[in-house]
Amino acid sequence: MGDAIVGVVANPLSGRDIRRLVTQASVFPTAEKANMIQRMLTAFGAVGVQRVLLSTDLGGISAAVYRAIQRHRPQKPQNRQDARWPEVDFLDGQPIRQTAQDTVGAVGRMVTAGARVIVCLGGDGTARVAASAAGDVPLLALSTGTNNVFPAVREATIAGLAAGLVATGAMPPGGATTRAKLLEVRVGDRTETALVDVAVSTQRHVGARAVWDPATVTQLFCAFAEPDAIGLSSVLGQLHPVTRHEPHGVTARLAAGAPRQVLAPIAPGLVVLVGVREIEPMHPGSVHAVDARAGVIAVDGERELTFGPGERPAVRLRADGPRCVDVSAVLAASARLGLLRRAAADPGPAGTDVKGGNT
Amino acid sequence: MTDTEERKAPTGRTPTREHLLDVYRMMRTIREFEERVHAEFATGEIPGFVHLYAGEEASAVGVCSNLDGRDTIASTHRGHGHCIARGVDVVEMMAEIYGRKTGSCHGKGGSMHIADLSKGMLGANGIVGGGPPLICGTALAAKLKGTGGVSVAFFGDGGSNQGTTLESMNLASVWNLPAVFVAENNGYAETTSSAWSVASDNIADRAAGFGMPGVIVDGFDFFAVHEAASEAIARARDGGGPTLIEMKFTRYYGHFEGDQQTYRADEVEHARAELDCLKRFADRVTETGELSRADLRAVDAQVASLIDQAVDEAKAAPLPAEADLLTDVYVRY
Amino acid sequence: MARNITYREALNEALAQEMERDESVVVMGEDNAGGAGSPGEDDAWGGVLGVTKGLYHKFPGRVLDTPISESAFIGAAIGAATAGLRPVAELMFVDFMGVCFDQIYNQAAKFRYMFGGKAVTPVVIRTMYGAGLRAAAQHSQCLYSLFTHIPGLKVVMPATPYDAKGLMIQAIRDNDPVMFFEHKALYDLTGPVPEESYTLPFGEANVVREGGDVTIVTLGRMVHTSLEAAGRLGADGVQCEVIDLRTTSPLDEDTVLDSVEGTGRLVVVDESHPRCSVAADISALAVRKAFGALQAPVEMVTAPHTPVPFSSALEDLYIPDAQRIVNAVKAVTGWTR
Repeated sequence: MGDAIVGVVANPLSGRDIRRLVTQASVFPTAEKANMIQRMLTAFGAVGVQRVLLSTDLGGISAAVYRAIQRHRPQKPQNRQDARWPEVDFLDGQPIRQTAQDTVGAVGRMVTAGARVIVCLGGDGTARVAASAAGDVPLLALSTGTNNVFPAVREATIAGLAAGLVATGAMPPGGATTRAKLLEVRVGDRTETALVDVAVSTQRHVGARAVWDPATVTQLFCAFAEPDAIGLSSVLGQLHPVTRHEPHGVTARLAAGAPRQVLAPIAPGLVVLVGVREIEPMHPGSVHAVDARAGVIAVDGERELTFGPGERPAVRLRADGPRCVDVSAVLAASARLGLLRRAAADPGPAGTDVKGGNT
Repeated sequence: MTDTEERKAPTGRTPTREHLLDVYRMMRTIREFEERVHAEFATGEIPGFVHLYAGEEASAVGVCSNLDGRDTIASTHRGHGHCIARGVDVVEMMAEIYGRKTGSCHGKGGSMHIADLSKGMLGANGIVGGGPPLICGTALAAKLKGTGGVSVAFFGDGGSNQGTTLESMNLASVWNLPAVFVAENNGYAETTSSAWSVASDNIADRAAGFGMPGVIVDGFDFFAVHEAASEAIARARDGGGPTLIEMKFTRYYGHFEGDQQTYRADEVEHARAELDCLKRFADRVTETGELSRADLRAVDAQVASLIDQAVDEAKAAPLPAEADLLTDVYVRY
Repeated sequence: MARNITYREALNEALAQEMERDESVVVMGEDNAGGAGSPGEDDAWGGVLGVTKGLYHKFPGRVLDTPISESAFIGAAIGAATAGLRPVAELMFVDFMGVCFDQIYNQAAKFRYMFGGKAVTPVVIRTMYGAGLRAAAQHSQCLYSLFTHIPGLKVVMPATPYDAKGLMIQAIRDNDPVMFFEHKALYDLTGPVPEESYTLPFGEANVVREGGDVTIVTLGRMVHTSLEAAGRLGADGVQCEVIDLRTTSPLDEDTVLDSVEGTGRLVVVDESHPRCSVAADISALAVRKAFGALQAPVEMVTAPHTPVPFSSALEDLYIPDAQRIVNAVKAVTGWTR
């Protein structure tokens, strides 16, 4: 079966954009991202992952992990389970341009190198980009910071155990992963995908990317809209909830003066009144036209695609989004199957303390 | 207080055609001014040191296009761009760089000290980190006088480590001043890379330590800069306090003219080809149809002519006289 | 109508009268009110030695406490001065000049010149100087000669309550940056001070004692020590002319030279270290411009070329006293080639 390999990609730039200024979005320290990776390395090692491929960055994450690896000493062997870290390979060799392409490139190389799970640390944007390059390799998106809908808010050690169990093949087929929905936007020959929402904005330029003023959004498409999520999808999450697991999505036109108004937590610290007009479901495969003649399309809360008259963008819900590791299901299955159970250590010569004391 | 000009600041959301032409003209003027100074400096006719801003235009113009006559900025030794973005007279600037009596400072200041208080430009500054404390002062004055003015301190990645800058950010938060701190991280302080000299992962990360939001912006992207600056300036004007904006980009020339730049690789070529702010701006506005290539070329021609005029006049202008040596030390001694 | 008040009270009165007259005058510094952040403790100190007490409540919003960030708030005072305020900022001890000197000598001092006459920086930076309180090396220096050296700054050091009020009001109304030196041992000195507002011009020394035998040029606290010495010498028949410079930049050369032309003998008394001091500056002035009148070498009575010691036994030796001045006068009067 070959080595159990996990790819880990972390975005150093998430959490420093204009949302720190226009909303109460959190500042997520790089040190904490590096810390999360170290917690995962311990978890991977515990369940037998042999190799980890780690993206490199200029933001200090990989540097901090590198330093930690130099300093790491395995814990004293207890119960014959040696908590070593797996071998870590840093994906050097490609110039880092500090754009989304870095993530795409890193994930692509991880897939080619045989990674069985890709863990990405970041927000919706990072998850979206990682998903676009992961292909069929299961993805575990871990949230760093606020304003995230798609990635799991999970303690990293637990996520690491789940990812490790999937990567080592210890999980039986089916039940470990779920397939996410995907929204596909086409503008002429340009395509973008979104994991949560697509918003059509009257703003003319990509600018500072984030969308924080609902008055500029005329149309919203949601792959899912959970009533307890933050972000633009919360607009529909209160009016027409759709879970991640249902096959359809939901779309609506927004207008400030619409008769139906909803208080929506569209960003951390930002609960605003949004006017919603026609709501209709999105069925997998059906194509929905964008009404606006010109503007910018935001995917998962970030302006990406500008369009002009005559381009006629369209949005389609697809059922073939990334395969996502279902952490709860994996660990529940592990409990059922005893994957983390180990036999007691041999008693050894009489008089030896179980804690490995003096002989 | 000297006269201030009312210049309309475009709104953050939808700049009009007129505003787009205005900002393009400003960025193009800075670019051509700096390229010309680069060429002229090489002939040996320009005295002293010059530090060129070419490549960074979107920062100065993206920020300053949100300011009006109530506002003040302070700049660095790399100050030509900020001066032009605040409307300091280009012909007078060139004469100042040539040390002529007709210069912005009558030849007494030179490239590193060009200022025009009537335009809310408190000067380029030869001291790294010299500007931020002064900006706390102009912001304090605006606050106490109730003018609604905002003060913006530009500094570099080198200046971000200077104690004056750090103290000023703290003071601006403690006094809740209408200020914006703009860290122009072009990757190097002289030859020393910012990745090495800045202990935090980003300059913007320090903001939390000073009680203000910190935002990173692509300094090559006029629209991104303009939008972020618009929010920060509005926040300051509304009494919401200071913000730290970190621009990330590259300077096209060395620290000073004459710098051999052995510490850099290919990033300038890459930036000029792929990231250049003027090119991206032009592509964007012509794509949306807001401006045409012909509009832009017309501006280019006017700018070229202005720069020619500035250099010709500077070269022909008189030098200061002996009596000028002793003037303007004091208002009255 | 003059009445006896302290040097401290005279300064407080000057500040209050100017703040009353001109709302662009603002005061800032560390603990200039005191108690910032502690409810109910506003104006806890009114300055470390009480000079700004009471102003906080009298002029709401115009007395600003600062964090310990000299470059930032001294720089802010300077920047605010270019923008229409008339700040009086306090650099608590002149010994702290090291952490903010750039803003003073490279920014404030040079704006007008560098910007071709297009800047006005009417800032006053008040600072405490001088030894005698056993405050030791980093809280006892004079250092006014360093500022005197800088073109673009004005440097003022009143010796009496009367001079303190008049010079402070002048400083606030002056449109150039002024370094205002207050000797910490003079705050409790009392003297006659008019109730009304008045100014004393810069660049005008004060002949505080007339005499035809020796010229003693001095400044700050040493004015009083020099007068004490002059009293003793007078009893011995040596009449000293004591000149209080009041301001070292601008400097009243004429009064000094006129006196030296008359007496032919000069003793300069300066609490600073000797090298590059005001004493050295005045000595050179006399030698260059009154050489023909000099009957003896110039004598300087200064502190030694050492940091200020802590122990009272040593600090009392450090500070020039009346006896040393008497000895110097006797040296110049007794000098023969």
